[in-house]
Amino acid sequence: MNSLLEQFLSEARDFLQSISEKLMQLESNPNSVPLMTELFRFVHTLKGNSGLFDFPEMTRVLHASEDLMDAVRNGRVNYSNTLADQLLEAMDFVGMMMDEIQVEGKIIKNYSATAAEVAKSLRGLLDSADAVNVPVAIEIYTEEGLAAKAISWAELPELNLPESIAMALYRCVMDGDTVFWLQYTPEPECFFKGEDPFFLARQVPDTLWRNVISTNDASSLAEMDVYRSQLIFQFLTTAPTEELDDLFRYVPDQIHRIKIPALAFVKPNGSVNNQTVDDEFISSALVLLEENNLAGLTRTLLTMLELSAPDLWSSSVLRWVLQCIEVEPDNERMQYALLNALRTQITPDWSSMTPTIKPHEVAIEPVAVRSVITPTIPVISSGLPDELLQIFHTVVNTQREILSLPGKWSAGRLQSVAATLLGCYRTINHVYEIETEAALQLALTEKSPLPLLALLEAALLDVAVVNTPESEIIESLGGRENANRGSEDVVSVGRRSEDAAGASQSKTLKVDQEKIDRLMNLIGEMVVAKNALPYLANRAETVFGVRELAREIKSQYAVINRVAEEMQDTIMQVRMMPMSFIFQRFPRMVRDISRKLGKEVELVLEGENTEADKNIVEALSDPLIHIVRNSLDHGLELQDVRVAAGKNAVGKLIIRATQESDRVLIEIIDDGNGIDPTVIKNKAYEKGLIDEATLERISDQDAVNLVFAAGFSTASVVSDLSGRGVGMDVVRSAVERVNGTVGIESIAGKGTRIYLSLPLSMAVTNVMIIQSNEQIFGVPMDLVVETVRVPRSQVRMIKRKQTTVLRGRIVPLLSLNDLLANDVAQLPNEDDEFATLIVRIHGEHVGILVDNFRETVDIILKPMTGILGGLPGYSGAALLGDGSVLMVLNPRELI
Amino acid sequence: MAIEYKKSLAVFSDFVGVEEAENLLEWLLKNPKGKINLAECGHIHAANLQVLMAVKPQIVAGSKDENLQLWLGML
Amino acid sequence: MKHILIIDDAATVRLYHRNILEAAGYSVDEAINGIEALEKALVKPYDLYIVDVNMPKLDGYGFLKEFRLQENIKQAPAIMVTTEAGANDRTLGYAAGANLYLTKPIKPNELVAYVRLLLGDLS
Repeated sequence: MNSLLEQFLSEARDFLQSISEKLMQLESNPNSVPLMTELFRFVHTLKGNSGLFDFPEMTRVLHASEDLMDAVRNGRVNYSNTLADQLLEAMDFVGMMMDEIQVEGKIIKNYSATAAEVAKSLRGLLDSADAVNVPVAIEIYTEEGLAAKAISWAELPELNLPESIAMALYRCVMDGDTVFWLQYTPEPECFFKGEDPFFLARQVPDTLWRNVISTNDASSLAEMDVYRSQLIFQFLTTAPTEELDDLFRYVPDQIHRIKIPALAFVKPNGSVNNQTVDDEFISSALVLLEENNLAGLTRTLLTMLELSAPDLWSSSVLRWVLQCIEVEPDNERMQYALLNALRTQITPDWSSMTPTIKPHEVAIEPVAVRSVITPTIPVISSGLPDELLQIFHTVVNTQREILSLPGKWSAGRLQSVAATLLGCYRTINHVYEIETEAALQLALTEKSPLPLLALLEAALLDVAVVNTPESEIIESLGGRENANRGSEDVVSVGRRSEDAAGASQSKTLKVDQEKIDRLMNLIGEMVVAKNALPYLANRAETVFGVRELAREIKSQYAVINRVAEEMQDTIMQVRMMPMSFIFQRFPRMVRDISRKLGKEVELVLEGENTEADKNIVEALSDPLIHIVRNSLDHGLELQDVRVAAGKNAVGKLIIRATQESDRVLIEIIDDGNGIDPTVIKNKAYEKGLIDEATLERISDQDAVNLVFAAGFSTASVVSDLSGRGVGMDVVRSAVERVNGTVGIESIAGKGTRIYLSLPLSMAVTNVMIIQSNEQIFGVPMDLVVETVRVPRSQVRMIKRKQTTVLRGRIVPLLSLNDLLANDVAQLPNEDDEFATLIVRIHGEHVGILVDNFRETVDIILKPMTGILGGLPGYSGAALLGDGSVLMVLNPRELI
Repeated sequence: MAIEYKKSLAVFSDFVGVEEAENLLEWLLKNPKGKINLAECGHIHAANLQVLMAVKPQIVAGSKDENLQLWLGML
Repeated sequence: MKHILIIDDAATVRLYHRNILEAAGYSVDEAINGIEALEKALVKPYDLYIVDVNMPKLDGYGFLKEFRLQENIKQAPAIMVTTEAGANDRTLGYAAGANLYLTKPIKPNELVAYVRLLLGDLS
C-alpha cells in the first residue's frame, strides 16, 4: 500500500470518529453553529481526501453527506435525529469500505448500488428542503458525480440536433424526464488497459441522440496512431443518474454530464434566406397571441407553414411555435420570443427566460468542462499545446476577473496579480513584461487595479501574441523535463536538507507502538540494572572494605536513579492515553442500543481527559462496553416503567473517570432499577454457587457481589445485547488481568454503581518482598492493605479456620506455606509473632502468614511463559538488582 | 477472422477486436477505394472505429445490429 | 529551487500535493492552518502558496487577507484549492488575494502546469 493511501486511511478514521462525535454532540445541542461548522469541515475534508483516490462509491456518499451538512450549516435543512441516523449510516458505510481498502488495498466488492442508495437517501433529506427554498434551474453534473451546480447558458453544450429529435427531447423534459448531455472522453492510453470505450458507449441506456467525434490530428493517415484513443462520445440520454454513474464508475473523470433544460432544445434550424417572413403576418400572429386566441394562432401558423419551403429556418421556427402551443399553451413568453425571432432571424436568447441564473454568479471549473465552454472574451491563440493553452487562458482570464472585482486593493494583491501575469507572459516569449511592470507601478501609486486591467484587456485583443511557434514551446517544455531528469541528484540532496530543517517544525510525531514498547522494556531493564548499584556499594563496603568507594557508588546511584526515574516517567507519559479514547465510542453505542430497546437515556461522560497507560486503557475497553450494555439492557427501565415508579422519564447513565493517586477510578452509574439482592441470592442458590446456609445469612452487599461470581448471569431474557452467556465474571477477570479491581453497589429501585480501579501504568509494579520457607516471593503492593505482626496468642480457631481480630473485624488467616502446599509451619519471630500480610481480595481482608517481611521494590513484571505459564498462583517473575529471580505471587488465585 | 479482406472489400463479422486496427488501417491505405461490409458485424473495438472515422471508406452494407448501425450510420 | 508552501488541514491532501510538486522539482513545506502558514511565511518567504479554504483557526480567506498585507512576502502568487466550487467562494477567494481557484482533486499534470505557469517556469 502506498504511503498516500496509508495516510488517507489513518486520517480518514480520525475523521469518521470525529464526525460521529460531533453528531452526538449536536444531538444534545442541535442549534450550535460552531458544532455544525466543524462537522461540515470534517465531512468536507474527508470527501476532498477521498477524491484523490479512485473510490467513486466512497466519494459519492461523502459528497452527498457534505452537501447535506452544508445545507444544515446554512440553515436550509434542520438537524434531526433522522438526519443524524442517515449520516451515521453513511459514515458506517464509508468505514466499511475503508476496512476493505485496508485489507485489500482497494475496493473489491461492487458497492455502487449501495452507494447510490445511501447517497440518494441523504439527498432525499436535502431535496425536500431544496424543493422549497432553492430553485436550481440548471444543474451540471461533473466528474465528481452528483454535484449540482448552476451554470450559465453560455456554458451549455452547443446542440445541433435534427428538429424532430430536438422536439422529442423538449417534450421529454416537459413531461418530467431528465435529459442529460453526456460527453465521454476516453483517455488516450485506454486501449492499453484493455478498455473498449466504444463498447462502453454503446451501453449507455435510453439514448435519444448519440455522436462520436474524432480528434485525430495526425497530418497523414499513415502517421495515425491507432492505439491511442482519439474519440469523444456524446449522448443525450434520459437514463437515471444512478445507472450512468454505475456504468462509468471506473472512468468518472472522463465523463462530463450536464442536465439540459427544455428550452435549450428549442433551437430552430434550417437554411436562412434573405427573404424575411412577411412582417404583416408576424404582427397578426402577435395580436392573436396577445388575445390569447391560440386556436386562431395555430390556424394562421399552419397556413403560413404551407406557404413556405419546409427546410427554411423560418419554417422551423413556425413548427416550434406550434409545438410550444401544444406542450406549453400558457408559456406566452416563449411563444412571443419565437414569433419575434421570425423578425430578428436570431434564435431567442433563452437565458433571459430563466431568471434564477445570474451569469456572473455562476462558475464552473473551466478545465473540467473545457469542451463545452464558449469563451466569452477574446482569446489569445499563442500556439501553445492545447492543454497548456487552456491553462494559460484560465490563468489570464482569472486575473482579468480578479482585476475587475470591486473593493479596496492592497498593494500585495496588485503585486500578486502582476506576478502571476508575468509568470504567464514569460511562457510566451516574455511579451508585455515591461508593460506589466509599468502598469503595476502605476496601479500601486493609484491604489487601483485599472492600469493593470487596461493593459490586460489590450493584451487579450492583441493578435501579435498569436504567433509563438508551437515547436519552440514544446521544446522548452521537453527541455525542462530533461533538465530535471539530469539534475535529479541535486534535487534530492536539496530536498533532504530541506527535510532536516522542516523536522523541527512539526509538532506531532507518530511513532510505531512497537518502538515505544521497546523503549519501555529498555528503561525497565535500566531500572533493574541500576538497582544493582546499592548491592555493589554494599559489597564494596562489607566484602572489600572500601567505604570511600561505597559512598561514591551510592552518590552516583542517586544521580542515575533520578535520571532513570525521570526517563521512566517520560516514557510512561508517552504511553499515556486519555480515557476519551474509549469513552468516545459510548455516545454512539448508548444511542444505538437505547434506540433499539426503546429506552430514553441521557449519557453523561466525565473525566475524559484522565490519562492512563495505553495497555490499561485498551484493556478497559471491553469490560466497560459490557458494563454499559448491562446497564442499558437490565439496569435502566422503559420509559413508562420509570414514570410509573415516579422517576424522571429519561434514564441517566454516568461514566466517570477520576485519578486517585496512582490509580484510575472508573465509575458507571445508572439510575435504573438496581439489583435486587433477593433475586441474586436465589439465582446463585439455583445455580449452586452458594449453599443454603449462605443463602440465609448472606448480607445484601455480599449478595450483590455475587454477580461477579463465575457462571453468574442475571439476564432472564436472552437479548442480543448482553445476554450472551458471559456475565460480570468476565469483566472481573479482564480487570484483574491488569491488576485492577472491580466493585458494585446497588440499591434496588434506585440504581447501580459499578467502579473499576486500575493502576495508571502496568509497566512497573511495586512489590513487597516476603520470605517464607527460606525462599523470597513478591506480592503486588496494590493488594497489600497493611502488614501486621500477630502474636500466636491472638490467632483463634473459628470454625476450624485460623482467624484473628483486627480492629474489630474478623480476618481469616492463611499460611503461605499451606497455600503453596509446603508442609512446613510458618516461623514466628523472637516474640512469637507471625508476620502477617493483610491483603484485599474481592473487597475482603485476608491475612497471609509469612516468615518475614523484606523491602519493597519496583520491578518489571514479566508474565511467565511455557510450562510455568500454566502455573496458577503466580502473576509473573522479575529480575532483581542482584541478578536473582523473584517470583511474584498472585494472591487472588492463591486463595 | 473477424475481418475478411477481399480484393477491394473488407467484410467484418462478429466482434472485431483491437488487434485488427493496425491491419485495417494498412489495408485501407493500400486500397484507397476499399469498401466495407458491416452486415454480419456485431461490434467493432473503438480502435477500429477511429480508423474508419479517419479514413472514411465507403460502407456498402450497414450492420444488422440496430444499435451498432445507429452509431455507424453517421460515418 | 523554488519553494512552495502547501496550506491544508488534511494531511492526505498535503501529501498528495507534496508528492506531485516534489516530483516536479520544487521544494515543499506544509502548514496545517492559516496561522501556521503565516508563521512559516514570515520566517521564510515562499515563491508560491497553495491554500485550502476550509481550515480551523484561520481559514484560507483569512490567511490570504493577512498575507497580502505582510511586507516583503505579500506579492507571491497564491492558488486557492478547494472542493467548494461555488461561485461565491470563488469571488471571496479572489477578493481575499488568490490568483487562481482550483477544484480538488487536481490532476497532477494540471497542478504542475498551473504552478509552472504562475512561477514563469515554462520557458
